[in-house]
Amino acid sequence: MRSHLLHLVLYSTLVATFFAVLTRDSRRERLRFGLWLWGGMVGGAIVLAYLMYPFPR
Amino acid sequence: MTPSGEESTGEALGARPRSNVYLALLAGWIVPGLGHVLLGRARRGVLFALLVLGSYALGMSHDGRLALRDPRQPFLTSLQVIANVGIGPLDLLARYSVYGRPAYGLSIQAISAGDRAVGEIFRERTRSALSIYGTAYAWTAGLMNLLLLFDLWDVGRGRRTNYA
Repeated sequence: MRSHLLHLVLYSTLVATFFAVLTRDSRRERLRFGLWLWGGMVGGAIVLAYLMYPFPR
Repeated sequence: MTPSGEESTGEALGARPRSNVYLALLAGWIVPGLGHVLLGRARRGVLFALLVLGSYALGMSHDGRLALRDPRQPFLTSLQVIANVGIGPLDLLARYSVYGRPAYGLSIQAISAGDRAVGEIFRERTRSALSIYGTAYAWTAGLMNLLLLFDLWDVGRGRRTNYA
């Protein structure tokens, strides 16, 4: 699999699930924290990518 | 104190670890998640095993780097090796499979001449287009398993009581 975006999504899913299960106890807390973490990782990476877009390689 | 702040008690902080926590730590390092199963957190242990081993499998199938301690950059490369070793004996098997022997470092002599095989395999693997992804997955798996060992220690000391 060579898609950078798919790897970003897959990696974020693994890490967000891990930390949600490790640090939260109720299902509701896990879901909220996991989604927050996942969104932060995926959204943050995409926003950062667009911010870097104007700069030369 | 745990992030949720609900699991710690003043008494528990000073408690001695349960006798089987050392066995659980060893088991958890050898097989990710097994330590949690041994301490009665079976569901959590199975889920951790799936996450950690799944991440490691993705890492190895994407040419993840099996770090070698390089005397020219000893600190950073040692941290990389620790991230790899966190996964347990699977790392040893992976090194046998990739390098043909349990190689963990490069010597100055090996870099300049001598035993070039391991260094060549390492560089070849690093040049793979997939290696950056595989390295992230593999090292993350090792670091996740190390975090699980800290969690096991907390469980063994009674700091985390209300989770299954």
